[in-house]
Amino acid sequence: MDNTSASPPYHTEVRSSSAQPSRSRHRRRKPWRKLLWVKQNYPDNWVDSSFLNQLQRNINVKPYDFWTLVADSTVITQHVSSVVIFVTTFIAIYMDKVGPVTVAGGSSVLTVLGYWVWDLGWETREKEERRLGEEDHAHLHIPSIHSRASSPGPGTPRKRSTPTPTRTSLELPKSHSRRSSNLSRPPSPTHSVTTPTITTTPDCTSSSSDAADATPVPPEARYGERTQRRLDTAKSAGLIYCTLLGLSPILKSLTESISPDSIWAMATWLFLANCLAFDYSSGVDVKFPASLSTNAAIMASVVLASRLPTTTHVFSLVLFSIQVFGLSPMFRRYLRHISWNLHVTTTIVLIGCAATGLGLVVGWGWAGVYVLVLVGGVMGGCSWWLMWLQRYKNEIHGPWDPARPVIRRQWGD
Amino acid sequence: MPYNIAMCSDFFYPQPGGVESHMYQLSSKLIDRGHRVIIITHSYGDRTGVRYLTNGLKVYYVPFAVIYRESTLPTVFSFFPIFRNIILREKIDIVHGHASLSSLCHEAILHARTMGLRTCFTDHSLFGFADAASILTNKLLKFTLSDVDHVICVSHTCKENTVLRAALDPTTVSVIPNAVVAENFRPDPTRASPKNITIVVISRLFYNKGTDLLVAAIPRICSIYPTVRFIVAGSGPKAIDLEQMIEKHQLQDRVEMLGPIRHEEVRDVMVRGHIYLHPSLTEAFGTVIVEAASCGLYVVCTRVGGIPEVLPSHMTVFARPEEDDLVNATCKAITAIRRGSVQTGKFHDQVKQMYSWTDVAMRTERVYDMILKRENDNLLERLKKYYGCGIWAGKLFVICVVVDYLIWVALCLIWPEKTIDKARLWPRKKRVDDVPETGGIVMGSVDIGSKVVPVVGQATSSGVEPVGVMTRDGLATRTSVEREIATE
Repeated sequence: MDNTSASPPYHTEVRSSSAQPSRSRHRRRKPWRKLLWVKQNYPDNWVDSSFLNQLQRNINVKPYDFWTLVADSTVITQHVSSVVIFVTTFIAIYMDKVGPVTVAGGSSVLTVLGYWVWDLGWETREKEERRLGEEDHAHLHIPSIHSRASSPGPGTPRKRSTPTPTRTSLELPKSHSRRSSNLSRPPSPTHSVTTPTITTTPDCTSSSSDAADATPVPPEARYGERTQRRLDTAKSAGLIYCTLLGLSPILKSLTESISPDSIWAMATWLFLANCLAFDYSSGVDVKFPASLSTNAAIMASVVLASRLPTTTHVFSLVLFSIQVFGLSPMFRRYLRHISWNLHVTTTIVLIGCAATGLGLVVGWGWAGVYVLVLVGGVMGGCSWWLMWLQRYKNEIHGPWDPARPVIRRQWGD
Repeated sequence: MPYNIAMCSDFFYPQPGGVESHMYQLSSKLIDRGHRVIIITHSYGDRTGVRYLTNGLKVYYVPFAVIYRESTLPTVFSFFPIFRNIILREKIDIVHGHASLSSLCHEAILHARTMGLRTCFTDHSLFGFADAASILTNKLLKFTLSDVDHVICVSHTCKENTVLRAALDPTTVSVIPNAVVAENFRPDPTRASPKNITIVVISRLFYNKGTDLLVAAIPRICSIYPTVRFIVAGSGPKAIDLEQMIEKHQLQDRVEMLGPIRHEEVRDVMVRGHIYLHPSLTEAFGTVIVEAASCGLYVVCTRVGGIPEVLPSHMTVFARPEEDDLVNATCKAITAIRRGSVQTGKFHDQVKQMYSWTDVAMRTERVYDMILKRENDNLLERLKKYYGCGIWAGKLFVICVVVDYLIWVALCLIWPEKTIDKARLWPRKKRVDDVPETGGIVMGSVDIGSKVVPVVGQATSSGVEPVGVMTRDGLATRTSVEREIATE
């Protein structure tokens, strides 16, 4: 075809600009340019030496540190251990080794203690909030219109609080969002008090009034708020308590027609789902983390509970499960947030409890295996494996990636 | 030598879009150059069977289940019997697939290779490498493209992307850009306001089109230049953000939201402005900026994807995909327009020289010439290529290809080739080489469905550029007729 003869021939070798024989011919030509609008004396399938020179590999990859990974894996260890604790407790109750009321009572006492710690933390958080707010006003002189007009959403205060030296930037948004949320309604962790709420509430109030006195400017509204918050908690705890009490007979007869084999299988799958879907990464500011995981665990405990002989058994086990799967993850997250040492202690205690439970119910050999697998396999082995897998990392970036828009937020929302 | 070509893609008219118009324009130009082209696509609603478009472009609407955004269900083999029938009926030499998200195109290429036909594939879009959907698409692409004869990409960036995604030899990939029908995008300086500078934005309002940047930039530009106006056309999930921004900053009389517009209305919107703003975050080619430049608009665009390759620097101001830089670039453009330092009047003729579908058809033809010269591989060599695709994928692909081959053998036994009717040829046009000289007026006729209409064309160096059709009301332009047929 006559058009073809006029056009430059298709070239067949890769990067022929560097190939020796064609060099003399190419020297006369203008250098190739990566442009479409200009007609160039090169074939359409020309591969220039600049081909893929904007390719970047593994630019965003940061190498993992072994001990950081091990430290991060403690959350998994904690959760798996709490599942094991729950299951062994169930077996113990099922085999009549432990009384159900003992279990529910003990866990309730622990829950109340946990709430108390959490509530104390609330005081410190509030104090810090106020201090931060004052510092901000003193340092930055934000125009009053700005600070009043903008609602205390997570976006706006973040920018203002950056210069404070005491806390890391990661923690700041959490504390601010806490402030914004306690204006309206206490967040869910306040449900931590369950059974003996009525007796403990006055204690908490007195301790809180002490704390309130210690603060430099205790506004009356704040005090009222705090009492209100505790009353709310007590109310919802009482509500859950009564509902459970009422539901227990129904739950007991729920799966009468199903064979135990199916129940064990179902519970196993549900606990697996719980472990897999659990939200290991989020911090304290998440309101309802991983509802799928929590629902799976509660359902597993309900089907297990339905195998137990009396209503008291069923009630105690479901109550225990709510404390283990509903409340303790929040408390664990909180502990990790406030103190690393407490977090490690909790991890060790949980592993110990799980191992003891296994030892008492199944056998000490299995308890040893459990500790070995968890500490050696999950914490050490998996961390090492993840690091080893990094050698296969091949992240490709180039001009074809969708750009990330950079937007300054003061004009938008 | 004229070829019989089948273009295969899930995306074709009546659905509007870039791939669709690319296939239509390329096919009609190839027909102008003497080839026979058919288009195979899936049925759209009750539009099934065979339809003819302008120039005798035959479209097969094959009934198929559509799963997501007009893509058909990837069934791998179920398309083969009807595909073989069409191919034999039309005596096809080359199967040319379009768009990597179209499973019909991938299947067509696989079956065509099984039948020993030549294949070509045009990639129109850019993909990442990180998310699950991309990984799956890339694997599929690798499967189809392991044995394709040649690949065409619409920009150099697109070529780099495709070469990496499908692990291809870069010499088997050609870059042939999109084009615009410059006649449809003529400037009209009388339509733009002489007092105010108007900035036009035409895009679907999605995240990847950079609507967030637009929302952030418009109020800032409006506050810097109190006389600047905006016209925003297009719809999408981000339209609400734009409307909120307009209300918040009280820009109702300065930002005009037109909503969705048809492709043929684009020119009429564009000529009302002075500057075209294109804040997209990813783009393989960006035909719309070429259209804008053709309408005589100064283009402000983000430097992403293939965009930097598309237009010369005197027609564009580039910005990084950042709010501040976009505002700066727009301000620069406004100043330049005010000072009159850009010759937007010349843009149309320049763009016309840069991009034309005739040129695209010529270059595509060259690709066809080349792939038909290549030695055809036998089955064993093809299987070797597929086997190299990966530890597991390679074996799976080989199984697919072998099954496909067996199906072909079975089909040949059940419906032997001689039992299949051959389609009667559309009366071929004269090859354009016979037209004596450039600039001459050519009269001819075209059969549109039921009636024969006289056509006026102008001979150019590359072929006959049809100018219009004589109707009772006078000379109708080519595009108005095409539009009528394409949209019915």
